[in-house]
Amino acid sequence: MSWRKDQDERLDGDEGDEELDENDYKTQKDAVLFAIDVSKSMLKPPQNTGDKKADKDSALTAALTCAYQIMQQRIISQPKDMMGVLLFGTEKSKFRDDSGNGTGYPHCYLLSDLDIPGAEDVKKLKALIEDGDDEDEIMVPSKEPVIMSNMLFCANQVFTTNAANFGSRRLFIVTDNDDPHAGDKQAKSSAAVRAKDLYDLGVVIELFPISREDKKFDLSKFYDDIIYRNPAAEAGQSESPKTSKSGDGLTLLNSLISNINSKQTPKRSYFSNLPFELAPGLTISIKGYMPLNRQTPTRSCYVYEGEEQAQVVQSETAQVDFAARTVEKSELRKGYKFGGEHICFKPEELAELKQMGKKTLRIIGFKKRSKIPSWASVKKSIFIFPSEEQYVGSTRVFSALWQKLLKDDKVGIAWFVARENAHPVMVAIFPSGNPDDEEANTPYLPAGLWLYPLPFADDVRSVDHVTAPPRPADELTDQMRQVIQNLQLPKAMYDPRKYPNPSLQWHYKILQAKALDEETPDAMDDVTLPKYRQIDKRVGGYLAEWKEMLAKKANDLQNTRAFKREFEEDDERPAKRAKPSKKAASGGGGPANSNADLKKAFEQGTLGKMTVAELKDIMASKGISTAGRKAELVERLEQWVEENL
Amino acid sequence: MADKEATVYVIDLGESMADCHNGRNESDLEFGMRYIWDKITTTVAASRKTWNVGVVGLNTDETNNNENREEYQGYENISVLQELGPMTMASLRALKSKIEPSSTSSADAISAIVVALRMIQTFTKKLKYKRKIIVVTNGESPIDDDQSEEVANMLNDVGIELIVLGVDFDDAEYGFKEEDKPRHKEQNEKILKTLVDHCESGAFGTMAQAVEELATPRIKSVRPFKAYDGPLTLGDPQKYPSALSIQVERYFKTKRATPPSASNVANPNGPPQTQVWNEDDGVPFSGVGLQPVKQLRTYRIEDSKAAGGKKDVDMEDLAKAYQYGRTVVPFGKSEEDYLKYETTKSFTIIGFVPMSSYEPFLNMGETGLIVAQKVNEEAELGLSALIHALHELESYAVARYVNKDKAPPQILLLKPNPAIEDDIECLYDIPLPFAEDVRSYQFPPLDKVLTITGNVLTEHRLLPNNDLQQAMSDYVDAMDLTEYGQDDDGHPAEYAPIDDLYNPVIHHMNQAIRNRAVNPDAPLPPVAEILTRFTHPPEPLLAKAKTEIDGLIQAAEVKKVPPKVQGKRGRKDTVKPLSGLDIDALLSETRPRTKKTPIISTENAIPEFKQILETAEDDETIEIAAKQMGNIICKLVSDSFADVLYPRAAENLRVMREELINMEVPTLYNKYITKLKESLLSGNLNGDRREMWFRWIVGGRLGLITQDESEVSEVSENEAKAFLK
Repeated sequence: MSWRKDQDERLDGDEGDEELDENDYKTQKDAVLFAIDVSKSMLKPPQNTGDKKADKDSALTAALTCAYQIMQQRIISQPKDMMGVLLFGTEKSKFRDDSGNGTGYPHCYLLSDLDIPGAEDVKKLKALIEDGDDEDEIMVPSKEPVIMSNMLFCANQVFTTNAANFGSRRLFIVTDNDDPHAGDKQAKSSAAVRAKDLYDLGVVIELFPISREDKKFDLSKFYDDIIYRNPAAEAGQSESPKTSKSGDGLTLLNSLISNINSKQTPKRSYFSNLPFELAPGLTISIKGYMPLNRQTPTRSCYVYEGEEQAQVVQSETAQVDFAARTVEKSELRKGYKFGGEHICFKPEELAELKQMGKKTLRIIGFKKRSKIPSWASVKKSIFIFPSEEQYVGSTRVFSALWQKLLKDDKVGIAWFVARENAHPVMVAIFPSGNPDDEEANTPYLPAGLWLYPLPFADDVRSVDHVTAPPRPADELTDQMRQVIQNLQLPKAMYDPRKYPNPSLQWHYKILQAKALDEETPDAMDDVTLPKYRQIDKRVGGYLAEWKEMLAKKANDLQNTRAFKREFEEDDERPAKRAKPSKKAASGGGGPANSNADLKKAFEQGTLGKMTVAELKDIMASKGISTAGRKAELVERLEQWVEENL
Repeated sequence: MADKEATVYVIDLGESMADCHNGRNESDLEFGMRYIWDKITTTVAASRKTWNVGVVGLNTDETNNNENREEYQGYENISVLQELGPMTMASLRALKSKIEPSSTSSADAISAIVVALRMIQTFTKKLKYKRKIIVVTNGESPIDDDQSEEVANMLNDVGIELIVLGVDFDDAEYGFKEEDKPRHKEQNEKILKTLVDHCESGAFGTMAQAVEELATPRIKSVRPFKAYDGPLTLGDPQKYPSALSIQVERYFKTKRATPPSASNVANPNGPPQTQVWNEDDGVPFSGVGLQPVKQLRTYRIEDSKAAGGKKDVDMEDLAKAYQYGRTVVPFGKSEEDYLKYETTKSFTIIGFVPMSSYEPFLNMGETGLIVAQKVNEEAELGLSALIHALHELESYAVARYVNKDKAPPQILLLKPNPAIEDDIECLYDIPLPFAEDVRSYQFPPLDKVLTITGNVLTEHRLLPNNDLQQAMSDYVDAMDLTEYGQDDDGHPAEYAPIDDLYNPVIHHMNQAIRNRAVNPDAPLPPVAEILTRFTHPPEPLLAKAKTEIDGLIQAAEVKKVPPKVQGKRGRKDTVKPLSGLDIDALLSETRPRTKKTPIISTENAIPEFKQILETAEDDETIEIAAKQMGNIICKLVSDSFADVLYPRAAENLRVMREELINMEVPTLYNKYITKLKESLLSGNLNGDRREMWFRWIVGGRLGLITQDESEVSEVSENEAKAFLK
């Protein structure tokens, strides 16, 4: 097993001591080079049909817009990954520093070199699309056809030099020409050879054909000699390129974006070749993925603005003791704080302590799905999929388990250690249905099994402090049902794709504006905000009635309780006095536990006469913070009484 | 929790405590101390200043207590070993040296309890404390029970809980009875039992049970934290009079507990100078004198003019920045605020969804618990109605949650709990993903196979046949845990419920730390059985399901791929593009290579190297190709300005390594890498190239090819490891 192929995504920063190896990390990076065809037909604007919704973009504009959008998207979601844009078939040629036409790759124009995209790249693309600003006359097709083998070798060099050791390298070819070398066998052969080079280099070619005016894009004419089956694809995956076109209410751009987006995200595994022990004597192999992962803004860094260009500062840390003496690594020990001192273990002991068995996923049995409490959630789930690499037959066994769990609403219960030295967890194994099914709950997620981490007893907080005794359902419930029934989310499901994260979007909007010297926006459409007007329109009537009903019922309840309390207190007081042990605690006017007493004490200004312990008891029971000195406690309690009673 | 505590342990150190009884191979004292050390170290570990521990020795050779005055009698041979106070490692060590069996056995246990009582009384005064006395004895020394009722009254007055744990005391409830118990012991047990019974709060038990219960991990309780206190709204109350607003409070229902974390410590005096310390010992591992180290951060920028290419800069000259792709965008203090999305504290329902539309694997984290505000009838009735209505309609609510002003919004799913799961009426909430959190990964379907030509197959080696499906179904049903467990009354109950799942790392770690604190030289304790209970399926269930398991294995026909499929050599499955074009033939046409003189270009090294090996017919060709590749790698390194070309050189090296393994000529690589190492470390490749070695070759695991990787290699795992050192 070479280390390159082991593209484990070690994202779990919360696993504690596991440190990312820089090299390992690098290899998981993804590089995508867009190769966009610039030809007369790509530049031709669509026919004006008079329909307002009809396409207005030429195929080239659509392709560039697509690259532009994906670039922005990748800056947010894959800040460490590279992207580049290569135009081919252009009259002008450009490759890195040499701008001459003689050497290098004629009719290939490297618009943005392969790199982590920056503000300039975004600006360059934007200028080409939005302003039609093509001062440099880049988007002028060449008179003679481009030689495809040249373009492919150009791409080869871009990858070889800029993303030599990237785990995932892909060339996205966008073109509407299915036969660039019609009749030229020699040129076709050269292209096939250069394509094989790319294959051997480990670059995957993804073709995004564009068909215009209902002309079929015929792969067999040229591209079948260029494209190889992706060796990294799962067994059983077939992938013939999807043709993009406008029509059916979809613009060419949308069609292209949807096709490219489905391939855009590099599929990174979280672990690979994990043994999945279904039963003693039956093991298959699986890979793990994280299709759901919380996206957060990149962290800030420090820059030094002293020189002409701001430079990112590297920080280095040294370990020093209290006398500021630098401590050598060999002197360092890991110590656990204990009773004012540190308890230490030898490195091999530390390793042994964390070792809780080999990496595995081992089923210990099955349960009804309903047995997993609805609150039992602590952490995101991991998606698993079979792999034939270690055990032949893994896929069919996995499929059988998946179908059984789906059919009978059952879950597997398993012991799970993701990697050597990873913290073990108990997981429930849930199946996800086919995304293509009409009634799929998660059309945006693949079908397979999910490892759902169960909380340990240690992770469950006590709820003893909460008092909320069960109440019977009543008219208020009935009325509320009307409200719920009338406010279903679209398609009766929560579809995350419809809810971009507002704070993340805002962060990048501001950042982008500043990076591109654009005007800073002062507002943003936040789709996570409820549609208030609609709510009022749809259920305002029900709600108004409900509130009236509630006010009345609450008032009644309040009165009954007040009466009951008085009654009980009258009854209890002598009894309390009889208990000598409580006497000391009651101090002044008795523990002001009931709200009526509290209010009285507040009005008489005697809250301050209570002891700290009493104050804390009362405040804790009301859910008020009990931190601080007595004066602060009294003040806080007084404030609470004022506001709430 | 944060309540103040005062606990006094009364430990019998009498002569007879040194003896072993009832077949144990540890003395009564050691047996009892297992319990006491566990309790005390737990207290130390919590390191709370408000938890106070005192220790009284019963049957000590000396007498040292405040009650032993002339006017009282019966307080001889009782010593205060530790006054009430917070427990530290230092006091733990001091105490440990005092726990030795004596040569006395005449002291009165009840007197010792009185000593403990007075200690607590003096220490806690009238303040709010949890007061406790824990007595550990084997009941051999005589007890005077004249005043036991009086003592019980005093204990009750002060509010002390009395726990008596006797070594080999009879306990019918636990089911233990000592055979041939001496009369005096029986008598003493009775006296102590009566005393405990007189106490308002007390417990009497046998040590064996207490020690057994130590195995059950204790879960650290955490003070409830209120994450939100405010309105839960439906609609906008500020704009629409119809909008609904319920005052609620939100707490955590689940919160991941983390194992204790270690910090970096070192001896402040540096490593011992005088003696040479061997590798195993190094700096002593005991905790005495080790001090935490601090991090000193320095900031540097690249500066070609400065020595070493780097220049130190002051923190004050730095500005904060964020990265937009590779563009660094500096933000001033005032501007930075603008990056934060302006929000106000709110909790508002977006809409409702049927329960059936939700999949548990969509959850993104920990669960919250929502109840109505206390003493607010309107909130109580309102929330209750919402909970019931959701429950009746089998629906969940989706809400937008901002826990305080300026906090990022979250989307929460609200699940009704009409006092079914927890015995309270509440909503549970779990966080849902946003659009950016979903990555569209494509996978082939699991119930059909799509061919390249677009056909759909339902029978295929990747798909289960009917036999396998049936076998799987039988197996899953046979291994059902839903009612496999037992509840306290022996009725069938769920096996492995969450209450029984203890985090093995946390508890094992804590156990090891406590052990080491008491016995610094002892080896690590084994992992407690209770922590590994659920790592495997229960044996009896496996036995019962044997037929189904065998059936499944048979139907599955899974075969392990041998660890090393033999190299590529001799195998003729060449790669072809989709069209099936004979690319190899085309290659040999367009890139004719005269035998023995293959030429590999630097620019296209990897493809050309691979292609030559694919068609190589003899070892000589391979050797020449490898040699050329080796030269290219060396040239890349020596041409590299700083580390610019290292990734490329490393990638070439990786391909070379992989291909030579496939060709079964590992020696070729091993020879090369040995030479390369020498050149890199000796600076023969145009300057200091150590980074290439350490970061790229060592870090990239590109060392010697071992026997594990290629059978023909003569390099062992250890040699390969040593090579990389």
